[in-house]
Amino acid sequence: MEPGVRTDMGAAAAAALDYDAELMLRVKEGDGTSFGVLLEKHRASVIHFIYRLVEEQAVAEELAQEVFLRVYRSRSSYEPTAKFKTWLFRIASHLALNWLRDEKHARGQERLDDVSGNLPARQISDRRPSVEQTLVYAVKLEEVRQAIAALPEKQRTAVLLHKYEEMAYTQIAKVLECSESAVKSLLFRAYETLRARLAHMEPT
Amino acid sequence: MNCPIQNRNPEALVAYTAGALDREAARALERHMADCAACRSMAADQAAVWKALDAWEAPAISPDFDRRLYRRIDREVRFSWWDRLTRAFRPMPLRQALPVTASAGLLLMAGLLLQHPGPSTRVAPRGEIVRANQVESTLDDLDLLRQFGAPDSAESAHPDAM
Repeated sequence: MEPGVRTDMGAAAAAALDYDAELMLRVKEGDGTSFGVLLEKHRASVIHFIYRLVEEQAVAEELAQEVFLRVYRSRSSYEPTAKFKTWLFRIASHLALNWLRDEKHARGQERLDDVSGNLPARQISDRRPSVEQTLVYAVKLEEVRQAIAALPEKQRTAVLLHKYEEMAYTQIAKVLECSESAVKSLLFRAYETLRARLAHMEPT
Repeated sequence: MNCPIQNRNPEALVAYTAGALDREAARALERHMADCAACRSMAADQAAVWKALDAWEAPAISPDFDRRLYRRIDREVRFSWWDRLTRAFRPMPLRQALPVTASAGLLLMAGLLLQHPGPSTRVAPRGEIVRANQVESTLDDLDLLRQFGAPDSAESAHPDAM
């Protein structure tokens, strides 16, 4: 970690680490209420993270269900060796990236079968146009989505964890099971690409 | 490029934009950017990216997400109990069942062979069967004699005497 970059994520975060692990240990002892607390705390971030990777809300929710189901299943063997959130997002990213690979393979097969060259439905599947949404906002959103979707899988995952989950490099490294310097490199290249594609945007 | 930040620590600009630098490091970077156009430009671009990414909000979560999850957990818990109870009586998957069936078949064949041994060992029982037939026919003859009574039996015993 570079000097000057906050590594501790604050005392509150450190306490939260212990609290989550403590809750999970209670789940291990059969306390269902603690599982409910963990679900309440991490539900939105897990679903949103997966959604930004797979870009389909129904799939994101289905995969998030699988994430929490796996957490519940592994309660008896749980050992607090890493931050609970790191462990949780490792499961989430594994599931989402596997789904993306399967989907990519399936879409590749579809393209081979379908000579009409239709765009994959996934690109527009979750667009729910609302009256409030301006055209400019919709265009901007689409541009952001496409810019992120164009990143290689690991870079994309690293950006999502860094930007939306506010994870430190060390934590991202644990989720992606790589070194901290690899994470720095991934993020640097990812943001370099995003700057080239999105820096022209005016804030709305 | 001679900029020490761009050459050695470009991540600092990303961290600065993300608000992840501590106050001292942030001020040092701001002093540097005051004189470095390249870093100023990069930080401005990174800030634009940061803002653009803020625009991407995830949709609302289904209100029945928890209910669906708990139903799955409940099903799994119930299934695991039922699973433990019925494991011994369940039909096995084909891959596991094949060797077990083959072994059972072999044991059955071995049992049948032991109960009905081959031709070489069947000589003695055949002898016994022959003897049993002889005993049976003798008993039939005796019954016949008994039916005719003793005097008749003498006649019949000597037909030429008539």
